[in-house]
Amino acid sequence: MIMMTTRQWLATAAGVAILLSLPLFLPNFWLVNIFGRAMVYGVVALSLTFLAHYGGFVSLAQTMLAGVAGYAVAMMAPTAIPLGPMAMPYYAAIPLAVLAATIAGAIVGMIAVNTREIYLLMITLALAVGFSLFAQSNITWFRGYEGIRNIVGPEIMGLPFRAPLVFYYVALGVAVSMFLLVLYVVRTPFGLVLQAIRDSDRRAAAIGYYVGLHRIASFALAGFIAGWGGVLITFYNIGITPSSIGLWATVAVLIMAVIGGLGHPLGAFIGALIYTVMDTFASSIIGHDRFNTLIGVVFLAIVLLSPDGVWGFGKRLTAAVGKAPQRTVDREKTS
Amino acid sequence: MSASPSHSSDLPALTLEGVGRRFGALRAVSDVTLRIEQGERRAILGPNGAGKTTLFNTICGDYPPTSGKITFFGTDISQLKPHRRARLGIGRTYQSSTLFSGLTVRENLYLAVRAMKPGRFSLLKAGKGSADLVRVQELAQQVRVDHILDTRIDAVSHGQRRQVEIGMALAGSPRLLMLDEPAAGLSAAERPELVALMAELPRDLTLILIEHDMDVALANSEKVTVMKDGEVVVESTSDKVADDPMVQAIYLGEGH
Repeated sequence: MIMMTTRQWLATAAGVAILLSLPLFLPNFWLVNIFGRAMVYGVVALSLTFLAHYGGFVSLAQTMLAGVAGYAVAMMAPTAIPLGPMAMPYYAAIPLAVLAATIAGAIVGMIAVNTREIYLLMITLALAVGFSLFAQSNITWFRGYEGIRNIVGPEIMGLPFRAPLVFYYVALGVAVSMFLLVLYVVRTPFGLVLQAIRDSDRRAAAIGYYVGLHRIASFALAGFIAGWGGVLITFYNIGITPSSIGLWATVAVLIMAVIGGLGHPLGAFIGALIYTVMDTFASSIIGHDRFNTLIGVVFLAIVLLSPDGVWGFGKRLTAAVGKAPQRTVDREKTS
Repeated sequence: MSASPSHSSDLPALTLEGVGRRFGALRAVSDVTLRIEQGERRAILGPNGAGKTTLFNTICGDYPPTSGKITFFGTDISQLKPHRRARLGIGRTYQSSTLFSGLTVRENLYLAVRAMKPGRFSLLKAGKGSADLVRVQELAQQVRVDHILDTRIDAVSHGQRRQVEIGMALAGSPRLLMLDEPAAGLSAAERPELVALMAELPRDLTLILIEHDMDVALANSEKVTVMKDGEVVVESTSDKVADDPMVQAIYLGEGH
């Protein structure tokens, strides 16, 4: 019933065209370690933004759900060291891993179904920390502290997944698909109900919706999105360890989503890019030990100056720029 | 077993038998017995804190009764969840506006229309001219908001929100409509629109109305139930209720 406006389509198309042509201008380091990495972490942040903006659920379990997919693909990967008992080709392991994250998302949604705000935050945080501690202490499946190595990803058209162009374009394809998926879903009946629950869950129930079931389904969809991010992050890191899904990783994804702006799915990717750039270059400027200080200061500055993040700041900026010429036109009319 | 609701035209629309609702030690509603016939228009009056809205909440299921029994066209609904009651045909509005403020008027009405059908989890958008969107248009005309369909709720006036609320409650073609102070907070200019809208509601629709404004309440009802301190104190016809000494005492603020 509601479509993207022509301007939004043009902006999206222009953005995708620029990202598609980036390999012409940028060295591999920027393609893979900055843009590629930002896009795969951005997908996990997107799953958080989706729940927070459209459902009103701030979930700290999204990194954990990415971790479920990451560990699942690692356990099933044919190249894993040590090789798991369920080794299978990547084309089967990847969808199964995303499915595992989707189911895990539904389970998180079920556990948290009656909680909101600070209690929802705490229960999802508890699940996230619990899962990472479990992965850390379980040797049989999760290989404890060491984790699972050599998850190199499938070959695509004879090229290794780690080839910069392959990784970049796959990451771009997944990021754009997930982004468009969110924009589409929130205009369907399912997505509208989600926003209705955010605005007034009692009324949503009063007109006939089963709020609990919708909440669980939205967590499952967020798990699906985070799962794709988790699979690609595991390929990017060539493996997975408990620290990659621990408390700090959980907070990092939250910081990305907030810096970028929770008000729009694009914010997740903007935030992930800013975070990645700072994480990469902070060590050469102020030393690696100071990264937390730097990201903390940037986080504070953004939350204080623009509570809706960089995306919100950009929106106000374009609104101000857009108004300026209009005002002159009005003046011409009146004079 | 309860009787089949569809063939029994002599069944009351709604009965409450000894219904009570406690919140901890507070008895918000105690031992209310009511019988509302099909097509009846009933007003519920009473001072603030009398338990009127809590009574609504026990009927729609937001806070199910802690004692007693509620039947709807012969079906025991005492412990059903709110969405199950809505699908049986109970529509309601809320005292304070609880619309979906981030969505447009059209989307609010659309969600209410969709709620009664399968496909609540649908991932397919409605095509232009689909039956649901046509129904949205009809509802919007019925409650006179068809000129602001694409405006977001947080940008429409209080009076129009009340009209959208009624439109949403009507979307599922309910057999029982419960309006919780529909005229509260309306300006003198907005009030006639609402009264006219209520006068146009189909005659076979059973209506329960909570209203502070005596005139609005009496103009839109045949029978009146007066509540005080969680109990029913008077039940009377609309033309006689104003003569009741108890009602006069309550409404003149005397006699506790």
